[in-house]
Amino acid sequence: MTPFRAMRRGYESQFEPVERAVLAKVARDVVGLLREEAGLGPTAPQPATDPASPWASAEDGRARAGSSRPVWTTGDSLRSPDDLSSLTGPTDAELARMTGLTGVARVPSDPAVLRLLPDASKDDPDVAAEFRHLTQADLAQSKVARLEALADLLDPRDAPERALAQAGRHGASQPVRVRREDAAMISGALNDVRLVIAERLRLDSDEDVERLTDQVMWENEAGNEVPVADDERAAARFWAGVFVITGIALESLVDVMLADLRRSAGMDPGPEPE
Amino acid sequence: MTSSLTPLIVPVGSAGTAVEEDTSTSAAHGLADPWVTIVWNDPVNLMSYVSYVFESYFGYPPVKARTLMLQVHQEGRAVVSTGGRERMEVDVQAMHGFGLWATLQQSGATGAAGAQGAA
Repeated sequence: MTPFRAMRRGYESQFEPVERAVLAKVARDVVGLLREEAGLGPTAPQPATDPASPWASAEDGRARAGSSRPVWTTGDSLRSPDDLSSLTGPTDAELARMTGLTGVARVPSDPAVLRLLPDASKDDPDVAAEFRHLTQADLAQSKVARLEALADLLDPRDAPERALAQAGRHGASQPVRVRREDAAMISGALNDVRLVIAERLRLDSDEDVERLTDQVMWENEAGNEVPVADDERAAARFWAGVFVITGIALESLVDVMLADLRRSAGMDPGPEPE
Repeated sequence: MTSSLTPLIVPVGSAGTAVEEDTSTSAAHGLADPWVTIVWNDPVNLMSYVSYVFESYFGYPPVKARTLMLQVHQEGRAVVSTGGRERMEVDVQAMHGFGLWATLQQSGATGAAGAQGAA
């Protein structure tokens, strides 16, 4: 992909078809996680997993017994290996359907979802619980809506495999255009995607993020393609590529958003971050 | 309370300025206000994105937004707004909406003073 640039009708970037398809798929997977963990319930049928998609091989279930925290496991590609709720009882979404209640504000069991819906207090459980009760459903719904907007922007046909199939037939693809009024929503969705992938990749420090970014950029410059995942290690490498591409998209989008924001506010931009 | 009705996505250059007066006035009177919003460092969050959030939501000028962003990055946390509890709940919800980890606490509580640079 190319960095986003400010154009008359919005912010534009050229994505490769596979980048569009993969990012849209990830955004929709995060939607699924959020719906389940926040008790929103599915309002739209989830697309069936396509065995021909680049994700399928990684979803084949190579989670090995005794392996700690595999990057992914069977089923939904982004599902936490710790998520055993389907074995132990109804999920929040199922409870919500049974009781007719939505917004069951349980602390998410999946650490990636907890990163999107974190505690509002570090040392006062009552403050955290009350805040979660009051805000979690709205917060999750808002994140779902903008992740779906991101997915639809990248892949409006809801069919990643078709985009992949067309990659060879069409040379240049249409640019991804983010309207200025949608930019805050799209950047927020990109940030949420990065948070979830980082949790799955166990990126816990600045050094982790830098090392991974350097590695991906080095391999990219060396001409190595982002591989189709065929084992756990390749899967991790694949996710690393997705993480870095999402970061490039977000950083370039935020740069042009900040420039517009400061121009409209008539502000002196001040010293730029290096 | 009303925080659940607050839109999470603040249009660029609009609602941010509406919030500015409230929070920056409150911040100027620091200790008189009982609650603070603290943003915590996350290695995943891009520095430019954090600056964008502080500028667009709080309406802080770029230099102040950058100072707060660097404080989060280098010290692990920063107090980004001060005020009544409900106002802070609105700010924390907005920060979570942006994907930043924020907490609220009483400004006199352990940790808040350090976050403001006193420790």
